[in-house]
Amino acid sequence: MADAGLGAALTRLRDAVTATRYPLALPGSGAAASLAKATAGQLDDYLIPRLARLDAPLLAVAGGSTGAGKSTLVNSIVRAPVSVAGARRPTTRAPVLVCHPADAAWFSEANLLPRLGRAGSAEAGGVGLLVLPVAVLTQGVALLDSPDIDSVEEDNRALAEQLLAAADLWLFVTTAVRYADAVPWELLHAARDRGTAVAIILNRVPPGAEAEVAPHLTEMLEEHGLGGVPLFVLDEQRLDQHGLLSEQAVAPLRDWLDSLARSAAARAAVVRQTVDGAVAALVPSTSRLAEEADAQSTAVVALAGSVDSAYRESELSVDHGVRDGTLFRGEVLARWQELVGTGEFMRNLQARVGRLRDRIVGAFTGKPKQADEVIVALESHLVTFVHGAAADAAENAAAAWRAHPAGGDLLAAHPTLSRVSPDLDARADRMVRDWQRGVLELVRDESAGRLFAAKFSAYAVNALGLCLMVVVFAATAFIPTGAEIAVGAGATVAAQKVLEAIFGDDAVRRLAGQARQDFLTRVHELLKEEAARFHTVLEGTGVEDGGGDRLRAAAAAVDAARRADPISGPDGAAA
Amino acid sequence: MSAPTVVERMAALERFTAATARRLPGSDLAPATSLIGRAGERLALSQLHTVVALAGATGTGKSSIFNALAGVTLSQTGVRRPTTGEAHACVWGADHAEPLLDWLGVTRRHFRDGGEPDLSGLVLLDLPDFDSVQVAHRAEADRLLSVVDLIVWVLHPQKYADRVQHADYLTRFHRHRDITVVALNAVDLLSAADAEECVSDLHRLLAADGLGDLAVLPTSTVGPPGLDPLVKAIRQAVFARQAAVRRLEADLADVTAALAPTVAPAPPKAALDADATRTLTGALAGAAGVPVVTAAVEKAYVHRARKATGWPLLRWIRRTRADPLERLHLGDHRATVPAATSLSPAGPAAQAGVAKALREAADRAGAALPAPWQDAMLAAVRAHRDDLPDALDRAVASTDLGVARKRWWWRVVGLLQWLFTAVALVGLLWLGVRLAMEALALPPLRTPKVDGWLPMPTALLAGGLLAGLLLAILVRPVVRIAAGARRRRAAKRLRDSIAGVVKDLVETPATAVLTDYATARTALRDAGAPLPSR
Repeated sequence: MADAGLGAALTRLRDAVTATRYPLALPGSGAAASLAKATAGQLDDYLIPRLARLDAPLLAVAGGSTGAGKSTLVNSIVRAPVSVAGARRPTTRAPVLVCHPADAAWFSEANLLPRLGRAGSAEAGGVGLLVLPVAVLTQGVALLDSPDIDSVEEDNRALAEQLLAAADLWLFVTTAVRYADAVPWELLHAARDRGTAVAIILNRVPPGAEAEVAPHLTEMLEEHGLGGVPLFVLDEQRLDQHGLLSEQAVAPLRDWLDSLARSAAARAAVVRQTVDGAVAALVPSTSRLAEEADAQSTAVVALAGSVDSAYRESELSVDHGVRDGTLFRGEVLARWQELVGTGEFMRNLQARVGRLRDRIVGAFTGKPKQADEVIVALESHLVTFVHGAAADAAENAAAAWRAHPAGGDLLAAHPTLSRVSPDLDARADRMVRDWQRGVLELVRDESAGRLFAAKFSAYAVNALGLCLMVVVFAATAFIPTGAEIAVGAGATVAAQKVLEAIFGDDAVRRLAGQARQDFLTRVHELLKEEAARFHTVLEGTGVEDGGGDRLRAAAAAVDAARRADPISGPDGAAA
Repeated sequence: MSAPTVVERMAALERFTAATARRLPGSDLAPATSLIGRAGERLALSQLHTVVALAGATGTGKSSIFNALAGVTLSQTGVRRPTTGEAHACVWGADHAEPLLDWLGVTRRHFRDGGEPDLSGLVLLDLPDFDSVQVAHRAEADRLLSVVDLIVWVLHPQKYADRVQHADYLTRFHRHRDITVVALNAVDLLSAADAEECVSDLHRLLAADGLGDLAVLPTSTVGPPGLDPLVKAIRQAVFARQAAVRRLEADLADVTAALAPTVAPAPPKAALDADATRTLTGALAGAAGVPVVTAAVEKAYVHRARKATGWPLLRWIRRTRADPLERLHLGDHRATVPAATSLSPAGPAAQAGVAKALREAADRAGAALPAPWQDAMLAAVRAHRDDLPDALDRAVASTDLGVARKRWWWRVVGLLQWLFTAVALVGLLWLGVRLAMEALALPPLRTPKVDGWLPMPTALLAGGLLAGLLLAILVRPVVRIAAGARRRRAAKRLRDSIAGVVKDLVETPATAVLTDYATARTALRDAGAPLPSR
């Protein structure tokens, strides 16, 4: 019997299915999105309401290809032109449900197919389900004429699939021309996998062809795992003046439906078979969805990882540039030399630090403009350097995304990602200035209380700060080559010696290490902000981590509830 | 001017693929190259024959029509679906048709001699269906549909609105209107009114497919109206012998329409505008150490000028100092193989500056171009990135910095300095002689006096020394000013040299991309793509 456990589990599964998104353009994401939509639709339209009332009237949906004669068949069974039929394809657009007047209330109340509106009358038109009470039908079975599954009207197919998913029984209408078409067989496979109760109506069989076509169709049904399905064959015939098939042609089908309607047991068996099959089929289809959800989160992780590794690589190259001393070249070096004197003079400095210190400090106090020039040159050097690192990282990250099936689409939607953010230069500039200020702060703290600082005031702090910056970029693993011995090493050694004379070796090493670390941390922060642009895009897709596990857990709960309380009890083993 | 022939248009398409082979992804060009190959093959084969395919869904009566036209039962018909799994061919007028059939890959052949004379040259194919559960049928139908000359779509009243027929086939072949015939078969199943409604609805669907106003021929193999309208349409095509060419033209229209977006915008006039070149040159100058070199030029000028014009007695101090330019191994720009300079290699910041300038230049150059060309532009601009340091070094080394030769006025000043020194020496010698004579108690020489009070030798000595010192002081600012001018001139020459490097290693490859783009664009327009001329 319908049990609260299974119903609740199905509701939770529906919530899990609707909550999971497949936004990344992976090979299976389109199929997964439509499967998710169909699954959620079936749960809402059919399984949840049906499970609440297993004894409600049986709904038989006539589905099939365009031109197969579904409407004519429904009209002929109720002996009245309730659904529009004709040569123009596709004909049926708004679905019509015919039932015994006593059953009309159940279908009109929108228990089944709640998302589909109810059309008040035939004239209301539009979408929505038209419920027509017809006295000729036996109470207990309703017939629904569904749109075609394969015409040019895409909406028809979606509606047809929705209606078929809500059917207790499929009346699958095909013709002698159609029965080997690929599209209907796809749906029959779905019905087979879901365990839906199916009856096949082979319509429009040319006179004399039945002997060949019917056995072939039976053979095909067996081949496709649908052996034993009831098969009704109707000859191609002239319609009467109302556009109906003759009464004796549809008699076998009518009788079969009547017998179903009269026997509550047989009806219940059909309903239970379909509901149980549909619930059972939820497990494999949900696991397919879960796999796809996993693929989505794996792709997000992979895309994020490629961004992180691109930026980490750039950070490493900054680290190298800072440590190998090559940053202190070109214009900065030239200006530094201009400030402290020529290369030759620097060669014999070791012994004359005291004089040199005075000279440098003097140079600063006397030439603040030149000192500023060194600072400005260093600043623009560093900004360009950091910009280059960020640009390389953005380009490499974008290239990695482009090579990824889902990344390419994301990149096309956000083309600016492959370049640095427009305000990067301004931010890098601010970053470098902040760092320089930090270096001056370091020097100020270190020299607080020392006689030297008091003696030389603010200029000295500037001078020593600049010396420290030079030491940070030049004196660590400086490997002089060629002329650099003369011009580079001498100059930077000068800076180091000055600092050592004032603060002592250990303090200089510590200060330089601190300043370098501070710089690298700031670069790290800046690059992290740059990388965050990629991460924001990824977050914007709405792929959640663990969506697959949530689906699997919900499906497992449904499966457990189904096993604990089988729907197809001992009284309803098969249709 | 007559319209270009299909051969000319194919040649234009070939020019397009040649120009874009290195620039566009291969997947974009695959349809074009396969069409060029197919066109060459088809045109080399019999053009007296017209290959007509009966195509349609399963059960529409393709084989019945085929058998009715062939006059014998060649293709299996029946009520079992699907029937035809392999294409059949029937040839009217057998001469030279064998190679064509081999090319089509159709092995089930029937040759009809005699019969209707006006169908001579017809190769009629009965294609497998494309909508049954047999996937292989669809593959075979697709293969043949891409090579036949005329397609007859056989529709059925039950199936004429199928999605697979319209979305997968009629829409795909909507540019092939000239070689498309639509037959609504089995109209005998419909009443006259229904048939009329059916045909008008089919017209609506065809219009949606892009095939509006195409005639729909009602046919039936068992009753009226028979096959006459269809036979008439086929006969016209066979008689005109134009279907093969029309088919290729339609394929060309398909291919060029798909490729048109890759060359849609008009090509820009120049790859790098003046602004981009200036930025790039500036960045490369920084990387090449131009500021260092120009500073050295100034110092070298001062150094050399002082050496030539300084006070002779102190010139030796200058000599002990190294020449700033020679220290950089710069100076001899006339050497045939410029020696590597001793400028330190560009630091990471300079390299980052170059990379940034290159990226910006590529972005600007490619801004107006479609996306794949932007990538090509970036690749081209960066093509010589690894050669740049060497080329820049060579450019700097081979630039005439303008300080190699001594200035004429240095010689004049130098001569004057020597002259003043000589005068002072004469005075000194004179005084010496006087001192010696006095020491030897010889009678003193008569010493002329300047202005009646200053003894001549003293005047010579003091005057010579003073004049030399004064000259040296006077020359100093002149040297400074001249050195500044030299530095600016050297900077300009260096920039020009580096601009030459930019031109050779950056602008030329970028221009090559633009040339390819313009060539490709013109070629595609010649091939029939609807592109504005400029």
